[in-house]
Amino acid sequence: MSYDPIRLEIFKHLFASIAEEMGTVLRKSSYSPNIKERRDYSCAVFDAQAQMIAQAAHIPVHLGSMPLSVQAAIQQFKNDLQPGDAVILNDPFRGGTHLPDITIVSPVFSSDYSPVLLGFVASRAHHADVGGMTPGSMPVGRELFQEGLIIPPVKLVHAGTTDQAILELILANVRTPEERLGDLLAQLAANQRGTERLLDMVKRYGREEIHTSMQALLAYTERMTRNLITSLPDGTFTFSDCLDDDGITGQPVPICVAITVQGDHATVDFSGSAPQQQGNINAVYAITLSAVYYVFRCLLGLDVPNNSGCLAPVEMIAPEGTVVNALPPAAVAGGNVETSQRIVDVLLGALAQACPELIPAASQGTMNNITIGGPLLSGRGSFTYYETLAGGTGATQDQDGASAVHSHMTNTLNTPVEALEYTYPLRVLRYEVRRGSGGLGRKRGGDGLRRDLQVLVNCQATLLTERRSHQPYGLNGGEPGQRGLNSLSRGEETILLKGKGTVEMQPGDIISIQTPGGGGYGSIKS
Amino acid sequence: MTASFPLRIGIDIGGTFTDFVVYDPSTQQIETFKILSTPSNPALAVLEGLNQIFSDRSDRQATIVHGSTVATNALLEYKGAQTALVSTTGFKDILQIGRQNRPSLYDLKVSLPEPLVPADMRFEVDERVLHTGEVLQALDSAQFQTLINEIKASGAEAVAICLLFSFLYPEHEQMIAKSLREAGYFVSVSSEILPEFREYERCSTTVVNAYVSPVLGKYLTYLEDKLEPGMRLSVMQSNGGAIQPAEARQAGVRCILSGPAGGVVGCEYIGRSINRDAALRLIGFDMGGTSTDVSLIDGARQITTEAVVSGHPIHLPMLDIHTIGAGGGSIARVDPGGALRVGPESTGADPGPACYGKGDIPTITDANVVLGRLAPELFLGGKMQLDAQRSWHAVEKIAIELDMETTQVALGIIQVANAHMERALRVISVERGWDPRVFSLLSFGGAGGLHAADLARGLGIPRVLVPPVASTLSAYGMLVADVIKDYSQTVMLPGGTTFQQLSFLLAELAHRGTAEVLAEGVADEDVQLEHSLDMRYRGQSYELNIPFTPTFLATFHQQHQATYGYAKPEAKIEIVNLRLRAIGKNTPPPMHGQPLGNPNPQQAYLDTRDVIFHTDATPTPFYQAESLHPGNRLQGPAVVVRSDTTILLSPSDQAWMDGLENIIIEVGA
Repeated sequence: MSYDPIRLEIFKHLFASIAEEMGTVLRKSSYSPNIKERRDYSCAVFDAQAQMIAQAAHIPVHLGSMPLSVQAAIQQFKNDLQPGDAVILNDPFRGGTHLPDITIVSPVFSSDYSPVLLGFVASRAHHADVGGMTPGSMPVGRELFQEGLIIPPVKLVHAGTTDQAILELILANVRTPEERLGDLLAQLAANQRGTERLLDMVKRYGREEIHTSMQALLAYTERMTRNLITSLPDGTFTFSDCLDDDGITGQPVPICVAITVQGDHATVDFSGSAPQQQGNINAVYAITLSAVYYVFRCLLGLDVPNNSGCLAPVEMIAPEGTVVNALPPAAVAGGNVETSQRIVDVLLGALAQACPELIPAASQGTMNNITIGGPLLSGRGSFTYYETLAGGTGATQDQDGASAVHSHMTNTLNTPVEALEYTYPLRVLRYEVRRGSGGLGRKRGGDGLRRDLQVLVNCQATLLTERRSHQPYGLNGGEPGQRGLNSLSRGEETILLKGKGTVEMQPGDIISIQTPGGGGYGSIKS
Repeated sequence: MTASFPLRIGIDIGGTFTDFVVYDPSTQQIETFKILSTPSNPALAVLEGLNQIFSDRSDRQATIVHGSTVATNALLEYKGAQTALVSTTGFKDILQIGRQNRPSLYDLKVSLPEPLVPADMRFEVDERVLHTGEVLQALDSAQFQTLINEIKASGAEAVAICLLFSFLYPEHEQMIAKSLREAGYFVSVSSEILPEFREYERCSTTVVNAYVSPVLGKYLTYLEDKLEPGMRLSVMQSNGGAIQPAEARQAGVRCILSGPAGGVVGCEYIGRSINRDAALRLIGFDMGGTSTDVSLIDGARQITTEAVVSGHPIHLPMLDIHTIGAGGGSIARVDPGGALRVGPESTGADPGPACYGKGDIPTITDANVVLGRLAPELFLGGKMQLDAQRSWHAVEKIAIELDMETTQVALGIIQVANAHMERALRVISVERGWDPRVFSLLSFGGAGGLHAADLARGLGIPRVLVPPVASTLSAYGMLVADVIKDYSQTVMLPGGTTFQQLSFLLAELAHRGTAEVLAEGVADEDVQLEHSLDMRYRGQSYELNIPFTPTFLATFHQQHQATYGYAKPEAKIEIVNLRLRAIGKNTPPPMHGQPLGNPNPQQAYLDTRDVIFHTDATPTPFYQAESLHPGNRLQGPAVVVRSDTTILLSPSDQAWMDGLENIIIEVGA
């Protein structure tokens, strides 16, 4: 399809600025530190067929998966969507990823006499608690039902009127309802702003032009992706790596990929990956798709629009019932945060054979999820603290890895020490770079970090961490990064903690997390 | 000439020119001129300009406010003082870890800004203060000698101190600062520079201060030594107010956006002079050769406390200025996906746009030449001849690639650039909760006049102002700047805290602010204090700044509703920070309007040329701005050529010149 190259560029700006503006509204009006301080959210604009047109560059793991949320809303309501509706969902098997990520999808209709569906706007935020067996809703569970409240696609707002019954049902099932309410209102405010902006655009350019430009932008990104794939050598590139364990059996969980490049098309086949596990490290289809999207998007260059066109020339095969395409009622809390990182690792490992000059050694390969929950110091009410910790990134052919920074599928901010101590009965004793943890090589991997937290009340801490036994790989003779380390100190005694699990803590206990370093690149000897 | 009215001089040091605006209170005359900048020692151009001003004057008295890029450049070019950092044990890497995020999401090669203090110059002291202000572990001064020895061995020239919760209990930082100052170091103390919570941002601000202040101090000392006794110098800060050199030496971080701040203050001055009675609502649009700065004034200048300069957070109050890489020299090209792209890369001054005669890279300026919107022989008042042929060839290369008409491509370049700038204008307005349709666009960069009316049309802005001083507006801002000092203190109090209790706490800041503004030489009656509170609903982590009045709670709910679309009157509120702005009012020079005369602009008419607006060439009259008279009216299509800018009126636009020689465009449909 040929489309005016000028309007293409103009509309790229317009759609991107809608998504950005939605993000600003969400961040500034939300409640939980998780969304405001850590910015664990994404906003996007879609066409009427649920193809993503623009996404504000927030969290990569949300990227490829948000179109599936919109598809789920369409599937559920078919022709029953009307102006002013908002569909809420978090069911990982129906448009979601893991339960804490709640997505709100709003259809946008032309404001004519007979409204026509123009597209959708959607916002997704990681809520600090959605119920389930442990505070923070990231438990080491065995089935989805233990992980929190499951919300299938339902209308939270009918033609502009909020369904109080659904809202109350949700709030009755979470540990910090006031905070949830504020965050959900913020998501609705973001969607409202996105809707207004899209309608403004229609007023200015007309419905036809909006439709045409959306399709042209998809085609543009698709063209860029095809150019990229064409530039890779034809052939099949395979790689495999392991998750440490599923938190229950202690056995490594292999993930395998074969990327076949043929002309301007690529097939990404995860056949051979482990069957879905008892523990929570199962990834749903949407997560695996996001990881594939992320890797191809990275290869495209920095300013190509983020839209569904990127996946058009890529076919993904993820066999059902495996750890990369789990079926209900699998536990999935860790699939989003941990398995997604390992999927990226195997994809990059395979691509390193096709284009070694572009691909870094393995980064820390985990988000080091820590959740602590319990009563507030005052005894009135409870708290839930959730955080992910940065680590080292992998070195590339010409550059050392970066230290103490988030890599690949996440980019959330930390909670400032002083903000944390104002809010929670916790004290940070140490927050520093873990020197020497990056893998050696001609170029060195980045260092991980160390964060020590002392608890001031009886509480529960849940860890969901990876790369505690399998190190982040080096490339081309570079050494692997050091594995991460979790420990608990009570008085004089210090014990090592497993990578995944829940521990009961007493006042004065210190939990220490040391995160993995990135892999090195190139042999030192040569 | 009497000595009782010293001259007032505003100086803006830019990359190419140093601009001077001189006001003589005894004659009420304003004079402006430019001389070439001297980047290796910016003071030389300042001194040369002053020599020119005083060459035929017997009295050598003046009040000088100047915008200095010294601190900015030290930061941007990593040429500040060798700086050490002192932290609470366990936290010396706060500066490096930052917020643990990476700047570019889809970049497999992660590059982070280099910390201003390298790892081997970060030191720790054993101590700990809690969020209640209680001391968990007292600071033992026995550590100091080792600390000082280590700092000496590190080769540091300046030291930043940032301990946890020091804004609640500054004593530990003060003890360390005292001993380091006695050892002869320049010391930047977090509880003095930014007594607010969030350790990384406070630390970064404190470190930037240690890093740039000694360099700025050296420059100011050089300059002051050369000035005559009757010349009183001060420096523009990023917050839009001036301070004395003694102050700037201690707080160089406050002067990082010195120059652009002058532009915003200048906008406000021009805006007020045009209509004293109406609410002042301006969007400042400063489009230069490589970048465009946008800012907004709604009654007052907009302030941000979340600025990030070159990757370094600086959380002091600064004028909210949004900068993008789009300017006359922005490069147009076709990317591999077949989209026409413009910027952010720029040709810079060398080789410059193709029409400058040196290169063949197509730019925004070349597109304007191709469309007939820039008169080649009248550029910069005729001092520079543009090569239209080169522009045509440069743009034609893209046209061939895209299989389009050259003029269509030129129009496309303009539209793409406008889309980019429109997005920037949206960031500063819509995203901050302002409706641009009730604002006027004030265009003051050299390249802005050709784009301003089209941009205004896109955003529904009804009016564009182009002041006669467009190219020296920043220096005007310096001339009229007030003395401004900002103070803050994190308190984290419940919303139920009474007005009286808060007044009591604010009184301490007010006392300090008043004393320090008086020390700048401000008269008692010119001191103004503005109290405000940073507030949020408990659990939120972003604060709204609310004026401190007895109804501050109600105002907060209203402001939250207006900004975010909802309020929760039943929810608990937190008062996070107290803020005080102490102002020493300056009386700006009066502007004398001329009566409006005949609307017919015939005397300024140059000729009629073909200009392309949409598809076909439209015969368009060109006018010389310097020959227009107040009251003259122009009907679009028209082009107004001035020595420092060119103004384009589309067929539906109208314009007139007001009594102050501002060109005011009434934007058509």
